[in-house]
Formats: sequence, structure tokens, C-alpha cells
Amino acid sequence: MIKLLGYFYEILKGSWITCRHFVVNMWFHTLWFLGIKTKRRGAVTIQYPEEKKEIAHRHRSLHRLMTREDGQPRCVACMLCMTVCPSECIYIEAAEDPDPEIQKYPKTFLIDLSRCCFCGFCVEACPEDALRMDTGKIELATLNREDLIYDLNRLIG
Amino acid sequence: MPKITIDGQTIEVAEGTTILKAAGQAGIEIPHLCYHPAFPPEGSCRLCLVEIEGSPKLELSCSTVVREGMVIKTQSEKVIEARRSVLEFLLAEHPMDCPICDKAGDCKLQDYYEAYGLFESKFKEIKEKKDKLVHIGRNLLLDRERCIQCTRCVRFLLEVTKTGELGVFERGIHSIIGFYENEPVNNNYSGNLAEICPVGAITDLDFRFKTRTWFLTSRPSICPLCSRGCAINIEFHKGLARIELGKRVFRIRSRENQSVNKYWICDYGRYSYSYLDEGRIAQPFQVINERRTNLSWERMLFILSEKIKSLRIRKRTSRIVIVLNSALTNEELFLVKRLFIEELGINRIFFSDPPDEKGDGFLLTAERVPNRRGALNLGFNLNVGEEVLKQDKIDLLLIFAAHLAEIMPLGWLSTLANQIESKFLFTSRESGLSRHVDFVGPVTPVAEKAGSFTNVDGLNQSFDPALNPWGQSWPEWKIMINLAKEIPINLRYFGRLNSPETIRKVMAEEKLNFSVNP
Amino acid sequence: MIVDWLIVLIKIILALIWFLTLTLYLTWVERKESAVIQDRIGANRAEILGLRILGLFQPLADAIKMIFKEDFVPPFANRFLHTLAPFLSFFFVAVTISAMPFGDNIRIAGREISLQIFDANVTLLFVLAMLSLAIYGIVLSGWASRNRYTLLGGMRGAAQLISYEVALGLSLIGIIMVFPSLRLQDIVYEQGKLLFGWLPKWGLFLQPLAFLIFLFAALAETKRVPFDLPEGESEIIGFFTEYGGLKWGMFMMTDFMEIIIVSCLLTTLFFGGWQVPWLGADGFHFPWGWDWLLPRWLVVLLQVAAFNLKVFFFCWFQVLVRWTYPRFRYDQVMDFGWKLLIPLSLFNIVATGIIMSVIR
Repeated sequence: MIKLLGYFYEILKGSWITCRHFVVNMWFHTLWFLGIKTKRRGAVTIQYPEEKKEIAHRHRSLHRLMTREDGQPRCVACMLCMTVCPSECIYIEAAEDPDPEIQKYPKTFLIDLSRCCFCGFCVEACPEDALRMDTGKIELATLNREDLIYDLNRLIG
Repeated sequence: MPKITIDGQTIEVAEGTTILKAAGQAGIEIPHLCYHPAFPPEGSCRLCLVEIEGSPKLELSCSTVVREGMVIKTQSEKVIEARRSVLEFLLAEHPMDCPICDKAGDCKLQDYYEAYGLFESKFKEIKEKKDKLVHIGRNLLLDRERCIQCTRCVRFLLEVTKTGELGVFERGIHSIIGFYENEPVNNNYSGNLAEICPVGAITDLDFRFKTRTWFLTSRPSICPLCSRGCAINIEFHKGLARIELGKRVFRIRSRENQSVNKYWICDYGRYSYSYLDEGRIAQPFQVINERRTNLSWERMLFILSEKIKSLRIRKRTSRIVIVLNSALTNEELFLVKRLFIEELGINRIFFSDPPDEKGDGFLLTAERVPNRRGALNLGFNLNVGEEVLKQDKIDLLLIFAAHLAEIMPLGWLSTLANQIESKFLFTSRESGLSRHVDFVGPVTPVAEKAGSFTNVDGLNQSFDPALNPWGQSWPEWKIMINLAKEIPINLRYFGRLNSPETIRKVMAEEKLNFSVNP
Repeated sequence: MIVDWLIVLIKIILALIWFLTLTLYLTWVERKESAVIQDRIGANRAEILGLRILGLFQPLADAIKMIFKEDFVPPFANRFLHTLAPFLSFFFVAVTISAMPFGDNIRIAGREISLQIFDANVTLLFVLAMLSLAIYGIVLSGWASRNRYTLLGGMRGAAQLISYEVALGLSLIGIIMVFPSLRLQDIVYEQGKLLFGWLPKWGLFLQPLAFLIFLFAALAETKRVPFDLPEGESEIIGFFTEYGGLKWGMFMMTDFMEIIIVSCLLTTLFFGGWQVPWLGADGFHFPWGWDWLLPRWLVVLLQVAAFNLKVFFFCWFQVLVRWTYPRFRYDQVMDFGWKLLIPLSLFNIVATGIIMSVIR
């Protein structure tokens, strides 16, 4: 019987918690609705497309290819990113550069973001610091898959 | 037979063996760059130093011959320290451009640095500038900065091809590999230079920058382009998940086989691999009024067997003509013999091999088909020619063309095509011939099937498939066995054949003299 | 005669509009209330011409979505019964609204019109009967889907509803004893009287134990958390698993309609129905002697508003309960019903009888 009463006590306690949340949050919602901007808000929700949280500085987002002073990509097409990529989303086609000091440059550089898992291994692997994932672009959704294959121009731009 | 002790292991080796070879026999690898088993030792890289008890200084294992009772240490502290120092000197002038070097992954210098080096560079001096893009031959590019002057290439051209185009010029730090003006490397074995170069100094323009070595899988096979039967490794890319590479095979390298090609292959065999990926037929098809309809193999063999059956019932198998070539394996030729000649009684069979070309006197032979000797051994008469076409009317024509369809002398087909009721072509690639035939079945080239060839010297060599079959390609033996089952003919005999091994076993049982060297 | 029929028709239409609109917006209330309880905002994206108004269009969007979803009947199901089940559920709950008194009689053009569609001397029994018939929808849907798990869900539902029906009925006997009528309108009239001259004679004050028993039993009848064993959406496969689109929507609507019906019953039986404390037919008569006379139409309006307010409160309360408690285990559900509620309700009958005979 005591156990049963304890059970009802817990039930009442639970009701008290939800009631408190309801009343307190409702109070602040009402204040905000009436245009009184209190410091606290009724909900912790961030209304995403309108409100955005600041991205952490060590985030990983859309890739970009770094360039040399002359605007050519720093990439030497060593294909280490392609090798390390766990989702096989990078494809590079190398070509002979007339400059013997450079020798190799990427004729094609494709990143298929529909496969990319944003692990950042490619950035770690790059010996030339040619690839970075710090553009802050995280909204990459498109209406067709082809748009998710980024080529050299889009990666540099 | 001197007895020596290497790293505590006592072995007995032949008189005159060098320490390096003796260690190899004991299963101990001594690092070396300039030494190549095909040439006399040079001793220029100094990497193979070992410690010999009683000797005050370290000795070069590649050029020191063993003596009775020698005690050799290859892992002592002194040796390891010496190796590190030698590597440091070698790398003092070696550019650190592994990411763009084609050799990376295959490079012995890279491997040895990983295994024995791993030091921080002490050099502050700027590295020597040398030419990085020197065309030293049709397919060869020399990077003089990467060269470590091991002179393997020079020795190869002196010892193997005996042409001697390359030499070492200048002295000391300025020494370079070079050639006399307007006399670059120009022989049929130049591709081997890129292969024996221990670093990335000589690169192959055919392979250069196409892919990286670690993407490639290497599988042994036999070169089918002439009757020498050189041992090769086919190196292919397994493909990417989403992107079509368009080709599988990126290069062909030689495989050691002391009884045939030693360590070398010719440029003809090395660079002619596009037939494995280009213009391949993926599915059997029927040609009606120049329009193609895809079939399944089952359907196609059903049609073929129906035609053969009806000719057989009317006792008209003499109106069947079969065109063969010497690129068929011994097993397939054996099946031709058992199935077409003995069971079906077809005797209008002839070989239509491409005409002989000039050999080069070393590996490349005049016969540009791999198995002519095998066909002769099995009792085929290679002198029979196109005259069998004119003996009688032709109701059914079977052409086995393998990868040779383009170079087989089949000019008569276009004129006779209208008079032949049904024509079947078994080939691996698209060619002009499919215009003249009714049915085309894709077959696998040598790299995609198993079997055995008898080379020009009478040596039987078997091989396994290196690549997966392209599309629905079938090897010819599979076509023949399934045809026998479809008709059906002598199921007790053909029913138990299901692979080249079983066919070989039957051949051995029937005392057809088939011992095969793997 | 035709006028009578017309009046009934208008009453039905008005009651259904009230009922269904409230049902529709109860879904909105549920989403918003749960959001507020959990420090969230809740659905607020549905918009018409850029107008969002706290997500009030969400139920409309949901309705449109459900209407245009594929009407799928599993190939292994019994097609007729599978289709019939949601309609049965829906009908038996919807029909109970006809017995709910919304207010006192009004007089329009010399005609006495009661604010109740179906006024008979057994309306309480009618409501109970209709609520018990709703079980058929559950059992049928579970059975007609021809899926073992939905069948089990239907069986659980039937067992639970029948168990709590007993407690529900027994708890009401006390009420019937105190307000000696089975007519809901009479019960409401009774509650308009005063106790000790100042306390409204509500069922809550006369039958507190019956109120608690009725509350728990009624919560169990609505099949919602913490009594959602027949269909625990995320965890237990229940009776309407094989339903989709509008048919599933009807089950969902039935759920919310049951909440409203239970709220109506709680209001009518225990909280004075449309009675406002101390409000008579001609205005307020406060126990401390003040009188505040009001016109007839205002009185009726106040009564209807009071009824609505009480119903809204209990709807809110049930949503609160649903978002507070975890689910009972099945044996706990059965123990609670058979071992606690039924003995208590029997005790309540006996105690009520004794007290009543002593007072008399």
C-alpha cells in the first residue's frame, strides 16, 4: 500500500515537472509574442534556415583547391587524396606540365560530394596543402546528382 | 662447396657464389640498388655492405665471393649504421618529389628509406640542379636529378641488347646518364630500362602519370603476341565506385622466367595491351540486315547446335568449314580435334594465322601467334589453306578469331559471304568482319582465360586468367564443351570436362604427351 | 414537423462542426503543448501566403497530406473488413457527441430548443454503449489486417478496453445514485443546485472517489500514453499498423475525438456540465446575498462558454498526462484495472449507499 502511494507520489511529481515547464515556457512565449524581448526564451530551438549557429572554426565543409600566385592549382595530381579517400569520391586525371619543376598537374579533378563523407582524410593526406575543407559551405543540397560532382573550376572558385 | 654462416644460419653454397646470392638462398634480403642478377656486379651504390668476421671494414656483398667458413652479419649495428649513412648520401642529391614521381610505390630507394633510413636530413645545401625532362628514347624520359648513377641502364644496354646507347658522362656530383648526339635509345627492349631503374629516373611515357602504382593489381600471365611465350605480369586497375576509367590494364611488366625470357620482354609485347580493353564485344549478338540483336550464349549455342544437328541428320557435315588460328590453347585445339573432327566428322578445317613478320633475334619471333608449335604437336596440318573453301558448298562457317580478327587473312569472307548460309564468328573485339557474319560471340583473350601454350622451343606453359572476362565473354573451350552438351554428343566424354585442368588431365590420360610447365 | 427535423439537422451540423474542428485543432494543441513542455517550439512551418500564425495551418496541411496519400490495402488483408474498421471506430465515437448537453434550453420564436441533439432518459447509457462499441473497430482492424502482430494489438486493445469499461460503468453508479437520473441533462440540472447553501452541487464534491476512478478508467479508454498498449506507435506494433493515408487518419481522429468525449463526460458528470457556479436562469445569485441579473441570451452564452472552457481544460489536461508519463507494463495495466479500480468503485457504491441512507 505504501509502495502504491509512493507510486502516486511519483506520478504527482512528474505532473508537477511537466506543468512547471509548461507554465514557465508559456510565460516566456507569451512575453515574446507580445513583443517583450526577455533574455530567456520559451524554447531552445534554433530556427535553422532563418537563424544560423556559428560554425566551429575546426569544422569540415565544402572542399576548396588552393592556388599558386599565378592562379594555377597547387595540386600536383599525386593522387594521395584519391588513395586515402574511404568513399572513393575523388577522381584525378593527371597531365604533363611543360614546367619541369612542376611536371604534373591535374587535368581533371572531381569530387563527388554525393559520396563524400567529409572525413577530411584528403586534407590530411595532401602534401602540397592544396586541398582544404574550410569554406564554411555546408548547405550543399541540389536537385540533381550531377550538380554534386564538383570539378576543378568549382573547387577553385 | 664452401660452408658459410649468415646471421647465425649455416648454409652450403656453390663455389663462386657472391654473399648477396648466398644470403638470398638463406632467405635473408640484403638491400641493394645497383646490383641486378642479370649483370655482373658494379658496386656503385654501396648499400649492400655486410660485416665479415675478421675483416676490418665492411664488404660489398654483391661482389664478394664466399669463402669456406665465412661468418657474415647482415644485421649488426655497424651494418645498419652504414646503411643509414649510405642512404643519407644517396638522398643528399635526390629530389623529394615522391608525390609526383611515377616510381613511388615501386621505388626501391623509397622502400629502403622506410626500412633502414628514417633519418632527419642533415644537409642544408641546395640540391644540385639537373635536367628533369630528357627524352632518351621513344618511350623513355630521364630525370637526371632523381638518378643515383647505379648504371643499371647502361649495363643493360651493354650486356643484354649490346647496343650501348647510354653511358655515364661527367664526374663526381656532376655525373649524368647521357647518350651521344642524335643517338637515343632505339631498340625493341627499351621499355625494360624503366622497369630496372631502381628509382624514378627513367620513366615510361606510356605509363607516366596515367595512374599510381598502388592502385594496380598485378597478376601473372603469358604474352600471346608471338610464339616466344614470355612471362608477364598484367597490372590492372580494379576500377572506381562511380567513375568509369575506360580501361583496366595500365601496363604490362616482365616476369622472371629463366627458361624463356629471363627478366625481359620486348617493347612490342609491353606496349600492345590496348586490345584487352578497347573495342571489346560484351554480349553475343545476331546480325540481321546490318542490325544487331543481342542474344544470350544459351540461345546462340542452341541455334548453332540446331544447325549442326540438321546438317548431321542429312549427312552433310562435309559442308561445315571451321577456321582456326594458332592463338587457341592446346586444350582448345584438343577439343577441336575430339569434337569437330572425330565426333562430327568435319574435315574442312584450316588455320588462318596472320602472316609472319620479322623477328628481332632475341625474344620476339617471326610467328605472331602464341601456339603454332602446339597445333603442330597435336597433329594439325598447318599447310592446308583457303583451298578447303572451294571443295564443296558451305552451309555453316565457324571462325575462331580470338583477338586476331583484324590481322587474320580473311579477305575471302567478303566475296564468299553471300554463298554461305550461316556464319558464326567468335572474336573478342569489334572488327569489320561482323558485317559479313550472322552471329558474333565474344571470346576472352589470353589474359582472361586459362590454358597452356607450347612456345617456339617446344616448352609447354600453362597460365591462369589474370583479368575477369569482359562482359559475357566466354573462352573458346567453354563454347566447345557447351556446344557438345547442347547437341548432345558423347556426354560421357565431354560431360566431365569443365575446365582447362580437366581437359589437360584427359589429354594426359590419352597419352598426348602433356607435361606442362607452370 | 419539418421544422423539428430541420432544427435537429442544424443541431447535428453545428455539433459536428464543433466536434471535428476541435478534433483537428486538438492535434495542433497536442503538438504545441508537448513542444512547450519539452522546451521546443513545435510545428510552425505550414504557411498560407506567407502567413504562419503559430502553425495553425498545420492540421490543414496534415489533413491534405492524409487525403492524398495512397489508399493501400495489404494484399493479404480482408479488404471489406479492413476498410470497415476505421469507419466503425470513427462512427461510434462521433455519434456520442449527440448526447452531450451544451447548454440550457433556449427559446427561439416561441419554440423550446434544447442544446442537445439527442435528449432521452437514457443518454448516459447511450454514451457508455457507444463507447463500448468502439472496441469493434479496434478488434476488426487488428483482425482484418491478417497480420499476427496487429491481431495481438487488437486483442490487447479489446482486453484493456473491456477491463476498464467495468470500472468506468461502476464508478458512474455512484453518480446515478446521487443524481437519480440517467439523463445527462437532468444530471446537469441537479448540479446547478447548491450544497450547504454555497457549494455548487458538482459530482466532484459529492463523488470524489468516483471522479478519480472515472478519470483513470477514461484515460485508459482513450488508449493513449500511459495506457497505449494497443498501439504504441514507436515501440509496440499495434492494431492499425497496416493502415495508411486517410484510414489511418481516421483512427488518429478517433483517438482525439475520444479525448474530447471523455472531457465532455468529465465536465458533464463531475464539473457541472454547462453550469456556472451560482448562475441561475435569470442571472447570478451569489451566496453572500448579491444578485446580478442578466438577460436570458447572455446566460445561455455564459453557460455554453463555461461548458467549452471546462472541456478545453480537460483536453489540455489529458495532453499533459500523455506527455508526462511512461507507458504501463501490460500486467500493470491489468492489475490497476482489476485489482484497484474495480474494488474501489464497488467500495464507492457501498459507501455512497450507506451515507445516503444515513442522511435520509
